[in-house]
Amino acid sequence: MADRLERLATLAANLLDTRIPLTLDDIAERVPGYPPDRASFRRQFERDKATLREIGVPVSVETNEFLGTEPGYRIRPEEYALPPLDLTADETAALHVAVEAITVEGDEGRAALWKLGGSTGMSTETLGAIPNLPALPLLFDAYRNRATATFTYRNESRTVDPYGLVFRRGHWYAVGHDHDRDAIRAFRVDRIAGEVELGRFGTFERPADVDPRELISDDPSRFATDAPVDVELRVDAPHVAEAQRRYPDAAMERESDGGAVLTLTVTSQDVFFGSVLGFLDGTEILGPPELRAAFVARLGSGATQ
Amino acid sequence: MSRPLVGPRLRRVLAYLPWIADHPGVSLDEIAERFDVRASDLERDLELLPFVGLPPYTPDRLIDVAIVDDCVWVRFADAFASPLRFTADEGLSLLAAGNALLEVPGSDPEGPLARAIDKLASALDAPAAIHVDVAAPDALATLRDAAAAHRAVEIDYYSYHRNASSTRVIEPWSVASLLGHWYVRAHCRNADAERLFRVDRIQTARALDETFIVPETASAIPTQIYEPSADTLRVTLDVEPNAAWVLDTYPIEDRTDLGDGRTRIIMAVSTNEFLARLLLRLGRDAALVAPTGARNDVEAIRTRILARYGASDPVDARGTMASS
Repeated sequence: MADRLERLATLAANLLDTRIPLTLDDIAERVPGYPPDRASFRRQFERDKATLREIGVPVSVETNEFLGTEPGYRIRPEEYALPPLDLTADETAALHVAVEAITVEGDEGRAALWKLGGSTGMSTETLGAIPNLPALPLLFDAYRNRATATFTYRNESRTVDPYGLVFRRGHWYAVGHDHDRDAIRAFRVDRIAGEVELGRFGTFERPADVDPRELISDDPSRFATDAPVDVELRVDAPHVAEAQRRYPDAAMERESDGGAVLTLTVTSQDVFFGSVLGFLDGTEILGPPELRAAFVARLGSGATQ
Repeated sequence: MSRPLVGPRLRRVLAYLPWIADHPGVSLDEIAERFDVRASDLERDLELLPFVGLPPYTPDRLIDVAIVDDCVWVRFADAFASPLRFTADEGLSLLAAGNALLEVPGSDPEGPLARAIDKLASALDAPAAIHVDVAAPDALATLRDAAAAHRAVEIDYYSYHRNASSTRVIEPWSVASLLGHWYVRAHCRNADAERLFRVDRIQTARALDETFIVPETASAIPTQIYEPSADTLRVTLDVEPNAAWVLDTYPIEDRTDLGDGRTRIIMAVSTNEFLARLLLRLGRDAALVAPTGARNDVEAIRTRILARYGASDPVDARGTMASS
């Protein structure tokens, strides 16, 4: 058999060239390289179609009155082509520098640059690396097409209109309108399990007055799951700077030994305990007494066997 | 070496065909370099293209490729006159890299990169899709300047793994933001060894007048931040489904599904403090299987914390756990 690249490219050329969707019969007749046996042809065509879609070629399936019930296939040139970006030479060069300096896991940025004429051989020191996740491109597509995304999050199905994706402190967050809670929420993208399903396109408007960055809490004591409690936390001198970094909203009073007492509002006991344990014996929850007791109970209940 | 899969090959062909058509007579070497393809693969794919075209597959309907003295001309590739639109992953990666670099202190917020991102975002109908926060810790500017000028720096550093602060003199080789945090790769004079420091845990940084030479053996900033060596302690833990986040958060070297919802994992731990923090935090959601010696260290740390609260060794609690 001839190289499959040849058949795939010829199939793509034929689907791009036609205004009328091509039926399977049309394709068998026009594109050389398929086996004559109908079942094998179908199988191989399906495989080719899947390969084209994997690399981003938008093969559409259409029906119309001429075709009857039989589906026809085509690639709409306006959907295929990269829209003109009108980048100046220095703008294209700046994108090259960005892709060289900041590695996004998967290196798809480099593949994107091929479409802008490929690498120009300049090299830059690496300044950063950002992870990628399977759900991210789908959420990005949902954002672009204003399509509702449905996914499983903490064992619950969530339906969300995405308003933006934020990378902060090592994690990707999707921010959007949560249909079930009728509120704007942030979701950790790495905690989305399984598939992300997209609804119909153009079903919502992105609000102009929502800044997704403002909806992500930096402060682990403020993840909202419980009623807010004001907590006093004694922090020993070596850990004061780290505690300030970690609880940016806390009020702080220095003590004579260089340590400090932080007052902060805790809205998730569980997350707060995990965070305090990070300091091991460098901190102490002074009050309220119930929270202090809960911490001791929690610590005592752990088992290393 | 095996040939790349057909999908990735076609993807590259569809990217360089329009570019060659726009740049008649370009050299094979330049194409290979620009599109990150081996010259031998490129030549073989170019040899196939004259068989690609449209019915009735007469010469004027087939792609015409001419290679003369290693220079390439392409005609009759009109179907592929434009590059393929960006995939979601490509668009996302470009915007994320661009936005990240734009956030790095010192970038020009109205320069060519900002303009390129604007054009890209509007072409993708993604005007405010991607935000990358590159928080700039206080010490960042001092360290970047010192790394560029090869000047030693005195730092006060909080080591999370050791749960302690110390003052050191370092020779900063390079500074990079990895997975959300800034790191400086440096020679630490106190340890007389190469170290990676988190910039946001450097409480103060003072550039010294002393300069240094970056050794040729200096490693680049790693993409994996934590690189355990062969002699680092490995622990085996049984993790309950509630604590499955551990599997995504730490580099796990081995995992086995125990069949009852629990997962047995093997991971490298750098310090006892790190292990204690993890186990105390997980509480009943994880059990340390091996090595048994590490258990005593964790228990010692647990007792130390409880002592601060005036609570003694939690015999009762441990007694109830013995059956699990």
